[in-house]
Amino acid sequence: MAEAAIRPAALDRARVLQWMQTYGVYAGVAVLLVVNIAVTPHFLSAENFRTQAVQVAPVIIVALGMALAIGTEGIDLSVGAVMALAASVTALYLGYGLVPALLTVAVFAAVVGLANGALVAWVGVQPIVATLALMVGGRGIALVLLPQLKDLHNPALASLGSGDVLGIPYLIVIAAALALLVAFVVRRTTFGRQLLAIGDNRAAAKLAGLPVRRVLMLVYVACALLAAVAGVLATARLQASDPTSLGNLMELSAITAVVVGGTPLSGGRVNIAGTVAGAVLIQLLTATLIKHDLPPSWTQIAQAIVIVLAVYAARGRGKR
Amino acid sequence: MAPSAEVLTVRGLSKSFPGVRALDGVDLALHAGEVHALIGENGAGKSTLIKVLTGVYRPDAGDITFQGRPVSFATPLEAQHAGISTIYQEVNLIPLLSVARNLFLGREPRNRLGLLDFGRMHREAEETLRAYGVRVDVRQPLRTLGVGAQQMVALARAVATDARVVIMDEPTSSLEPREVETLFEVIRRLRADGIAVIYVSHRLDELYAMCDTVTVLRDGCRVHTGPLADLDRLTLVSIMLGRDLGEVRSEGLTKFTGDHHAADSEPVLNATDLTVPHKLHGVSLDIRPGEVVGLGGLLGSGRTETAKAISGALASKAGSVTVAGVPLRAGSTPAAIRAGISLLPEDRKSEGIVPGLSVRENIALAALPRLSRFGLVSEAQVDKIVDTFVKRLRIKASSPYQKVGELSGGNQQKVLLARWLAMNPKVLLLDEPTRGIDVGAKAEVQKLVDELAEDGLGVLLISSDLEELIEGSDRVVVLKDGAVVGELTGDDVTEDKLMQTIAAGSPGPGAAGEVTRHG
Amino acid sequence: MKHFAHRRHLTARPVIVALAAAMALTASGCAKSEDDAANKSDSSASAADAGQKVVTPKPGSKGCTIAAYGGKKLDLKNATVGFSQSEKEANPFRIAETASVKAEASKRGLKLLTANAQSQFSKQISDVQDLLAKGADLLVIAPLNSDGWEPVLKAAAAKKVPIVTIDRKINATACKDYVSFIASDFVDQGKRAADQMIEATGGKGEVAILLGAAGNNVTTERTRGFKDRIKEKAPDLKVVFQQTGDFAREKGQQVTEQLIQSKPGIKGIYAENDEMGLGAVAALKGAGKKAGDVKIVTVDGTRNAVQGIVDGWISGVIESNPRFGPLAFQTLDTFTQGKEVPQDVIIEDGAYDAKNAKSDIGKAF
Repeated sequence: MAEAAIRPAALDRARVLQWMQTYGVYAGVAVLLVVNIAVTPHFLSAENFRTQAVQVAPVIIVALGMALAIGTEGIDLSVGAVMALAASVTALYLGYGLVPALLTVAVFAAVVGLANGALVAWVGVQPIVATLALMVGGRGIALVLLPQLKDLHNPALASLGSGDVLGIPYLIVIAAALALLVAFVVRRTTFGRQLLAIGDNRAAAKLAGLPVRRVLMLVYVACALLAAVAGVLATARLQASDPTSLGNLMELSAITAVVVGGTPLSGGRVNIAGTVAGAVLIQLLTATLIKHDLPPSWTQIAQAIVIVLAVYAARGRGKR
Repeated sequence: MAPSAEVLTVRGLSKSFPGVRALDGVDLALHAGEVHALIGENGAGKSTLIKVLTGVYRPDAGDITFQGRPVSFATPLEAQHAGISTIYQEVNLIPLLSVARNLFLGREPRNRLGLLDFGRMHREAEETLRAYGVRVDVRQPLRTLGVGAQQMVALARAVATDARVVIMDEPTSSLEPREVETLFEVIRRLRADGIAVIYVSHRLDELYAMCDTVTVLRDGCRVHTGPLADLDRLTLVSIMLGRDLGEVRSEGLTKFTGDHHAADSEPVLNATDLTVPHKLHGVSLDIRPGEVVGLGGLLGSGRTETAKAISGALASKAGSVTVAGVPLRAGSTPAAIRAGISLLPEDRKSEGIVPGLSVRENIALAALPRLSRFGLVSEAQVDKIVDTFVKRLRIKASSPYQKVGELSGGNQQKVLLARWLAMNPKVLLLDEPTRGIDVGAKAEVQKLVDELAEDGLGVLLISSDLEELIEGSDRVVVLKDGAVVGELTGDDVTEDKLMQTIAAGSPGPGAAGEVTRHG
Repeated sequence: MKHFAHRRHLTARPVIVALAAAMALTASGCAKSEDDAANKSDSSASAADAGQKVVTPKPGSKGCTIAAYGGKKLDLKNATVGFSQSEKEANPFRIAETASVKAEASKRGLKLLTANAQSQFSKQISDVQDLLAKGADLLVIAPLNSDGWEPVLKAAAAKKVPIVTIDRKINATACKDYVSFIASDFVDQGKRAADQMIEATGGKGEVAILLGAAGNNVTTERTRGFKDRIKEKAPDLKVVFQQTGDFAREKGQQVTEQLIQSKPGIKGIYAENDEMGLGAVAALKGAGKKAGDVKIVTVDGTRNAVQGIVDGWISGVIESNPRFGPLAFQTLDTFTQGKEVPQDVIIEDGAYDAKNAKSDIGKAF
């Protein structure tokens, strides 16, 4: 009975916006798939889906970490630089073998994450400023370590980049596993709940005795580690370490994926499935335009439109 | 009051949110020069009605006629321009802008170049505010003012915008008695000027002092409209609660039963010489198990700061806090919580609830480590605790998974109480536990405080509702300007004695000169 | 409150500086990359011996003398030369370019001041102003942009400091705002790349272009030359795809992956620099293609790309010679002695293909 009295126009708009924020990204992916299958030659092939998935895997991995940072009402601009740093360090330590090199990468990434986290949690610097420092500085360090692109000829690294299990490339397997892991952490762990509470209402979390600083530190460490994983995978795929351009503008792609996926910048909510779909949406958008040989500037404009739609939907949800 | 033209008429207003029917065919008629009380329990629909009237929400059905014309405001600004101004419960001005800028926001005086005329703005702001008993440097950011003064700025702003209707949503909830008197002066002036006032409050004294007419809402429906003078207090309460008169009469106006038996045991909490620069100057107090200690004093006397210093949220520069004889690390909330101190903060919205998380997650928030194994939350254990407290505190939510931000104030407060009771505290610090919540929930919270004390908890009660403070406390420690100026025990726990103590008391030696008043 | 905020910033910086230092130390302390055992290929050292040759003073190009430009004669040996580099020396081209300028300066025994704009044009402007303030008598500039040089040139002109720009021209009046520019002809590079592509593909089929960074005149000119020559010489060769790879290897790889999926019949890829070409190679390898299935022609002449020819993945590489040092100083020397120098100096770029790749790989940078 209550429903009948409701004025249709007003409610429909609110409903559409809410629907858009929750499911818009999936609808977008579906539309792009359908359109491409219809009009793009050779789109409907295992090879093609494999290509798209492999290309988007590093973006997904970075976006997972970004989603955590954004969930705490923070942001991490240093992810692209961490990818470059991971590439440099990989190249530098590959002489000891793949595993020692990866462990060293992890150490470096953890140090960057701790520095970001310390600035945010202990010194109280705004996340956007704190991580800006390492966005610039991190790539600087990467270039000090390895001043120019270097080809790598390590068979183990090469197989990490192009090998597969049961026909599924490692990159996809790793990205999927990490997405599940992060989703689990957010939903099921104490850390996840605390992270959301801190993002939603920092003051209340503090007064409720939550270890606010520890959680923030961990978030930025996790974010840096995930970015490092992405950096190593991209390096493995390229079979070359390219600290100059690897991860350039990755922070923007990751933020876009997170926001488009329905995670609000205001914190307190993390949508992992949406984040993955957001990254896929942008990948498909780019692929569509490239495959049809449309001017590259169109990609940027299309991305901008998607972001505006996502932000609009998020705003509509906040205002009832 | 001469019967005059209807300035605002509302007919058949309805508004629903997912799962809630907030307003259901509400009518309201407002006359020029009338002070109209709008009351009801939390969740009755008062806030929604106000938000519809001021363009924050769009109604699902119904008409609003303002000054004879049908209107539909899309934004609060439109409503304000049309002549409907609002003062919300929480001051919603811009804390970082200057007092003057806030006062003139959206209608700043400009000079010939189209630039802000600061000189004129500051002059006029000072003049305007003087009429409201506020004497401050209008160039300072608004946030440097106390809450009461901020409220006055909000009021001055609302009135100055040539309003025909002024809506006041719990305007006195953070005012000192002197400021309340100023407010009443202003309201009388508005009435004389033919401006209509909608006055929302939970304080019956104020309603009877100021209002001509009353409209009572319950569960989204209008249940009564009429002259206030025709209703006695108990009848009014019974209409609000929807209960029998006899029932209300027998329960009295507050839910406190009276004294607890705690006299002889060792204190569970011992705070000595708490010192926070500019705020506290050597405050000492102790609480015995089963005792409710009231903290009396005016706004800005250091009551909230005392509670925060005990709970570690404010670092005390000197002194100590011991719980059951064990000293606490100063300035550490987690340490205080582990020792068994729980603080229900004054500002429920900004320091209490986590609005985007569910009832369930909010209740379990502080106890999470205990409800987890190897960092994984045990959903079964959470369910058990949540279930227990939802039942015990009668928390009304559509499900444990409903977002706390969608609950009424009273239920939010109960969720917060549940969060702390789940920690099995030894000492409960309650800072304004019933502010801004409806009469029903208020009674329940009061009753609960009693029960908790019976069970042996030490309770510190801060309340600006004198009745509540006096009836609820076994003992009242009186603060003034950040220092203890007296203590009322036994038969001396009365409103008169409290007033006398506040009026007579002078802060401890040395401190008086340097104390600066904060809100 | 203010004091506190201020201190926060102060504490933030040492954290980062210390971090950077710590990382650099760790890394240099015990790093071991794959080829540490093997001898490092030191491209910049061997670079110096392969200087540039002038193709032409451009036909119709006028000369420039001190008399026309203003200023006074001086002996280059006692002069201070300022060198403003546009980008970080993080790619082979810039590394070789800077190394060449430095090597020539030390060979001639003159004092060289250097600055690097790190790809920020505003920084390059202030770099040049700095160099002037520090007493540079002569300037060698590798411009990041062609436009926007007016304020600097005014300052230089006031001091009558001769300027030579290398690798890119600036939009200003020769012999008034600057003495001359020494550069490759990017349009011609595109044309020669087209020649190689026509030869490799037999002049038939569909080809793709991996464009450089958008809005960069190198990109526009290398594209124009390539397309013009194709149109003129091999109308059966169709450019069916052109997407930017931002001069970066990874981007080149990603775009090529999309390309070979949607246009499996593609015969050739023209990459406007070596890095994108090598990215294309990686993409082809990843898709299971064999060397030579898709013909790749690139521009630059780095060692890696020339090695790609030897390995059979790349059909041809057009050189864009970065070793401007000798020619730049030669020009300045001639000019300051009071003799006439050409205003537009176009250098001769080599080329590599299957015939000379193996023997000439030593010349690659």
